[in-house]
Amino acid sequence: MGAFDWTVIIKNMPFFMKGLLTTFELAVVAISGGLFFGMLVGMARLSHIKLIYYLATIFVNFFRSLPLLLVIFWFYFLVPIIAGRPLGDFVSASVAFVVFEAAYFAEIVRAGIQSISKGQEQAAYSTGFTYAQTMRYIILPQAMRNMVPSLITQTVVVFQDTSLAYVIGLKEFLRSASIVDAREMKSLEIYAFVGLVYFIFCFLMSRFSQKLEAKRGAAK
Amino acid sequence: MLSYDFNWSVIWTEPYGTWMLQGIWTTICLGFISWCIALTLGIIIGTMRITPWKPLRIFATAYTEFFRDIPLLVQLFFWYFAAPSILPGFIERFLYRELPNFEFWVVVVGLSLYTSSRVAEQVRSGMQSIPTDQYYAALSTGFTHLQTYRYIITPLAIRIMIPPLTTECLTVFKNTSLAMTVGVLETTFMSQQIEAYTFRGIEATTAASLAYMVITLMVVLIMGLIEKRLSVPGLITRRR
Amino acid sequence: MKKSLYTAGVILAVVFCLTASAFAEGTLETIAKRGEFVVGVRDGAIPFGFFNEKNEQVGFSIDMAYEFKQALEKKLAKPLKIELKTVNPKTRIPLVANGTIDMECGSTTHTIGLEETVAFTIHVFLTGSQLLVKKNSKIKSAKDLAGKKVGAAQGSTNEAAIRDLNTKGAIKPPATIVVYQEHPQGMLALEKGIIDAYCGDGTHLGGLKAKAPKPDDYKIVGGMLTYDPYAFIVRQNDSAFLHFINAQIIEMIKDGRYMTIYDKWFGPKGVLPIPMTDEFKTLLKLQAWPS
Repeated sequence: MGAFDWTVIIKNMPFFMKGLLTTFELAVVAISGGLFFGMLVGMARLSHIKLIYYLATIFVNFFRSLPLLLVIFWFYFLVPIIAGRPLGDFVSASVAFVVFEAAYFAEIVRAGIQSISKGQEQAAYSTGFTYAQTMRYIILPQAMRNMVPSLITQTVVVFQDTSLAYVIGLKEFLRSASIVDAREMKSLEIYAFVGLVYFIFCFLMSRFSQKLEAKRGAAK
Repeated sequence: MLSYDFNWSVIWTEPYGTWMLQGIWTTICLGFISWCIALTLGIIIGTMRITPWKPLRIFATAYTEFFRDIPLLVQLFFWYFAAPSILPGFIERFLYRELPNFEFWVVVVGLSLYTSSRVAEQVRSGMQSIPTDQYYAALSTGFTHLQTYRYIITPLAIRIMIPPLTTECLTVFKNTSLAMTVGVLETTFMSQQIEAYTFRGIEATTAASLAYMVITLMVVLIMGLIEKRLSVPGLITRRR
Repeated sequence: MKKSLYTAGVILAVVFCLTASAFAEGTLETIAKRGEFVVGVRDGAIPFGFFNEKNEQVGFSIDMAYEFKQALEKKLAKPLKIELKTVNPKTRIPLVANGTIDMECGSTTHTIGLEETVAFTIHVFLTGSQLLVKKNSKIKSAKDLAGKKVGAAQGSTNEAAIRDLNTKGAIKPPATIVVYQEHPQGMLALEKGIIDAYCGDGTHLGGLKAKAPKPDDYKIVGGMLTYDPYAFIVRQNDSAFLHFINAQIIEMIKDGRYMTIYDKWFGPKGVLPIPMTDEFKTLLKLQAWPS
């Protein structure tokens, strides 16, 4: 074993930070894109129109049944063939994440809407509201409040998921760390550091989510 | 124009067909063992989080946060490359040299701990999602604390927990794919291996995808049956 | 089948709002149009492509790529940007085939099997599979691997070589093969004692050894299990580009630029000192056919 050598972290700090920045960029794209499409798909999952319902359901179940790692490989190899032009590894990772995470966000949105009792919806219709109005003014505002903790949890998951872009050589945080580790062979220090950094961000986010949840509980 | 001639036969040509089947079997074993451990640990830790005794709560919270807030891949690399070096030399040697399938067990450990923290979180939030009114109502009818949990809170909470637990169970099977990065010969690994030998990446990846879809479909079906059997009338269900 | 892929392509292109434009044109035209030369390089193959202490991606094959870039600029009469994309043994073939990268300048063994999917330039290096072990190890050749754990990179000829020896019964009882995604991970596993030996091309192993914090802790053993001539990868059916690159390599061998780059990385003062073997010298001489 031998003494810990933390200088390896300080020495390579700029390189680590560059990787961390890429991780953040990817996370922001994945979360905002995934949430946007997830909302649409989530509502489509509850649609009265059969075709929309089935398309959305197939989309959600398809991507939820595949490991993200495989999806990343798919988009990495397949998209350039299909698009007919090369896409950078950041772009192909982003596309993979947005599509994949949308399926998960969609389920959260669906569950949120379903958590509102049916009576609310019927009451809205009986006062002459249209579907869009019911969703906009009655269901979604309440559903959103119910969804917030799950959404934040999912955000934490997506943030962690970005580490999988490692496999296609994207120099995000984990990849940067493993490059340094291969040279310095200080696995313990390096992975402890990497774990700590991820932990701090995820912990803060989940704490935030718990605060919100607690506030919601108090308001009841 | 695009030139890619599909050649699906590579999937069942020997030895690739056998490789694929071996990979799928490894995925199922990895997923199943890890899920059993994770579910057990998760329920214990999740319950500890809502006990009235503070030290238990603090421990359980720390456990959950710790394993939940670090990406699985980082944890796997840590368990594989870093952790054994803090252990005494003879244990390290045993793990690396004597233990057959060290790579497999590293993933079981990493995956179980990671998943257990997420299960614990679902158990806790499921329990706490039951309005406190229910709890007080039960107490006021003369139920004890334990009875309230046994007859009122838990039955309701289980129904709330099933969908998220289904997701976690699916996640376990899908997360087994990360095992390839430490050299476990599971499905994703085998698909990449076949790709490396035959350059039939699309066919091999498709076969792997199908395998995962079948595995997850089974999990969804089983959990769906359980959910249906336990469903409470009156809550919104899918409008069709 | 091609038709159905095309249909799927159209659908997906609409879905992802991407303009589909197939690469009917040659690589030279693509580079000219794009104004950028996209090269696949390695990040863990010392000294062909790796990250140095300043965390810059450098190496023998990367230097060659820069020479090609200059030649391309002359040929196309316009300044070009160069983009280095990290590839590994698993991604390098599909990425060339699907056009993500214009060529790969790494350390790929030229095999008949690979020729089915991509095309190769003339050979730029010569090496073979050997074993890297710890200094005090008793392993001297592949035979000593019996019952031991040996690492190799996924999709490499080295892994295939060990697997082959296992099935042929040359290693009895068979060695356990642990397959890593990249060389550095294997090296790390060797250092930690997870594996007893790591099988790789002699040069890769030399590179891993030289770059280790304590190079003297390791040794390279065993005769060459395989004979691995390295070449760069280009797309199939694009003879204009292939011939252009080949001509550049021949030029470089003839005017001494090749040896300058070789000495920079493999010379006595290089990252990985390897005296050029006679076979290697002959290979270069025979390949440098007349203009």
